[in-house]
Amino acid sequence: MRYLLSSLLLVLFVSCVSYPKKNGFIASARQPIQNPYFSDASKDYVYKANIEAFGNSLSGIFIVKKLGEDHHRIAFTTEMGNKIFDFTFEEEDFKVNHILKKMDKKILINVLKNDFRVLVKEKPSVENGFRKDSGSIYETQIGNKKYYHFLSEEKLNKVVRVGNGKGKVEFTFSEINDNIAQHIQILHKNIKLKISLKSISYEKL
Amino acid sequence: MRKLVYILFFMVLASNAQTKMSTSEASALKATVKALSDETETITADFVQYKHLDFLSSDIESKGKLAFKSPSMVKWEYVKPFAYSVLFKNETLFINDNGNKSDMDMGSNKIFKQLNQLITASIKGDMFDASEFEVSYFKKDGNSEVHFNPKDKQFAEFIKSFHITFNKKGEVQEVKMIEPSDDYTQIVFSNRTTNQPLSDAVFAQ
Repeated sequence: MRYLLSSLLLVLFVSCVSYPKKNGFIASARQPIQNPYFSDASKDYVYKANIEAFGNSLSGIFIVKKLGEDHHRIAFTTEMGNKIFDFTFEEEDFKVNHILKKMDKKILINVLKNDFRVLVKEKPSVENGFRKDSGSIYETQIGNKKYYHFLSEEKLNKVVRVGNGKGKVEFTFSEINDNIAQHIQILHKNIKLKISLKSISYEKL
Repeated sequence: MRKLVYILFFMVLASNAQTKMSTSEASALKATVKALSDETETITADFVQYKHLDFLSSDIESKGKLAFKSPSMVKWEYVKPFAYSVLFKNETLFINDNGNKSDMDMGSNKIFKQLNQLITASIKGDMFDASEFEVSYFKKDGNSEVHFNPKDKQFAEFIKSFHITFNKKGEVQEVKMIEPSDDYTQIVFSNRTTNQPLSDAVFAQ
């Protein structure tokens, strides 16, 4: 019994060691950070998207528009233009403007809501800071969930949502150019869901 | 000055004027389109697609090529800013997403059947007798515009109204699919050729 108790304690203790420390980062000062990738209200952000969900694959056009401070609209359409979903994020509020009946499921909408909120959250509240070499990690809170924002040379390149000391969802921003991430991936580790976004620069044809 | 404003205002009104056709005008249009459609074996055209979402600063433009072979083989091929094609052939929808191929059986799907009907109609225009739509006829800027409103509730979830613009020869110039939210997809055709031999390779997937 005692043995069981101490091993339980040990397990508890191990899982309490924070995610950055497990990865060799040391504590540092916390400072405000910014996700600049959807922060320009004069831009229409348009991506070619591939969503792989539970063995199904869905492709289309993913559109993000900043409408004001802490206010974004996110829509997804087929290549031929039919709207699949259309959400509004305004401060803590979230609104479904449209979703195909087939996809109108609370669980799915919740997953998408949590994921997309991370994409558009420009200034997440920072709880702790960590450093290693030229990289920093900031423990953040978005909605009621805990995240880690990874910066390399002051640029945000990864966000991880953690549960039980393990990365549950990983957001990667790559090929960054002029505050536009040409490539964004959202990868879920505990459910079969992967969203890949590739920026479309549709300079006037 | 005031006069000028009135004249300008009137001109704007006049150029947008859309008047309902008389029954005989509508029958004449139907006959012209039907006659042209009956003698059309193949069509190729270029198209520009404008996706209008009210919250965006500008429409999302994409460009591509269209090929049609009687009675119902249709290929929409997007070339810019991404490579993507859909081919409707033998009640099957073949998708080629930048090399990733997939297909979908439309035979049992009512929605797809109606969609296919609309797509064929958007090229040949000949669907005035379709019982699934409420059809109304208008004159606009010297052209004819026909509105198809789906009666089926399930289909109306996707498209509130489908507008086809015909030139004097009875050729489809432009197609507009309006969603229940009033966002729309507009497709404008150019460089149309008809009855040129089209090899089956065009429709191979």
